[in-house]
Amino acid sequence: MSLFRFAQAKPFVTLGLVAAVWLVVPAVVKTFTRATFFELTAPVTVAASYARDLQEYWSLRLHSNRELIEAGRDLARLNASYEFSVQQNTEMQAEIARLEELLHIPAYPNYRLEHARVVRRDFSGWWQDIVIRKGKNFGLPVGAPVVFTGGVVGRVTEVHATTAVVELITSPGVRLAGSVEGDTRPFSYQGGENPTFGPPIGVVNYVPLDVAATVAAPKRLVTSGLGGVFPPGLTIGEITSVTLGSDGLSKNGLVKLDDRLGSLTEVTVLVPLAPE
Amino acid sequence: MRRVLVLFLTLLLLWTLVAQLNHALTGLHVYLFVGGLYVTYAALMLPLAPGLAVCLLGGLLCDATTPVWFGTHLLLFALAHSILFHLRHRLPRDDSLAHIVAVLLTNLALFLLFSFTQIGDSPAPTAAWTRLVGDLVCSQIFLGVVTPWFFALQARALVVARAEHRDNLA
Repeated sequence: MSLFRFAQAKPFVTLGLVAAVWLVVPAVVKTFTRATFFELTAPVTVAASYARDLQEYWSLRLHSNRELIEAGRDLARLNASYEFSVQQNTEMQAEIARLEELLHIPAYPNYRLEHARVVRRDFSGWWQDIVIRKGKNFGLPVGAPVVFTGGVVGRVTEVHATTAVVELITSPGVRLAGSVEGDTRPFSYQGGENPTFGPPIGVVNYVPLDVAATVAAPKRLVTSGLGGVFPPGLTIGEITSVTLGSDGLSKNGLVKLDDRLGSLTEVTVLVPLAPE
Repeated sequence: MRRVLVLFLTLLLLWTLVAQLNHALTGLHVYLFVGGLYVTYAALMLPLAPGLAVCLLGGLLCDATTPVWFGTHLLLFALAHSILFHLRHRLPRDDSLAHIVAVLLTNLALFLLFSFTQIGDSPAPTAAWTRLVGDLVCSQIFLGVVTPWFFALQARALVVARAEHRDNLA
């Protein structure tokens, strides 16, 4: 009878043993195991992304010469306007450097731009992250900001041999300092709801009382530059509503984030350069 | 040992397919959670030790590729395995419908437990449940479709690798 009872309880005794062993396993063993299992999946993920790139290449090959000529003409026009912007930017950079030297203020950190393909997007209700096809092999550091044409994407949270994981600003765990465009007062931004079939939404807290925003007249939310991770002025999203907070001293609000965050294929990592 | 390795490879294939599917579904903000499939076949068909080993390896695979405390999936899968293993003598193990029901119930329990461990980070937990319920419904529908295929794949993989369990041979 007691043998039968032990046989009945055997799965739970084993479960208890597994849990106990797992809790006392040293952190270094867990870190090594995690890295091992991640690297085990990395070739599969990267191979799938190369297959998608190949698929895209062959679909592009189907375009007619006429379409390619039109695309080339449009790109030439864009290049002309970008070249003008680059010239202006160079002049402004020189002006900023001159003023920094004149006023003895610390310089903004410089970044190396590292473009990377997105190999896997993972957007659940619990987290949102992407895996990119560059890692230690391109010198990416943990914590580096990641951007795309629409503004901030997120920051690098894990760096592996040939891949890196980026936590998106839509993720509820992400908090950063933002401000309304043209206003230097910082407040808190946090990733929030990501409703099914709907656009991602973030939340802002401790917004100054005089800031007002509606769906018809939204305010552009940009990074404030505080915290040292993101350079100032990068677009986070648009504040579409603000309401008075429970303390009456500040406002809380909702931020509409870029829809394109859900279909990213290429991003840029800003790798901080050591000051000269 | 061979049996554990073969079933782990099928779990790796499942992880790859679901990861690619989730990648494609990000534009719709839909996420498929298939934790129940990682556990059920091993718990219903294999002896305790190799079945648990398969579940633990599956848990480590999920833990390594998600931003959660390393061991969350491992312990949840081990718990689900223990309960299913304890109950398996009362279940019709050769019936496809029973397999689907077992997978759906296991997945539901794992999804809810997992959500309770992760929901704390959300700035609006109540609102987050709306999204989670949507994901759960999609996941259950997906599981209802793929469970017979995945069970057949695992059984066939064991046959091909000549690692079938004696109970199954009878």
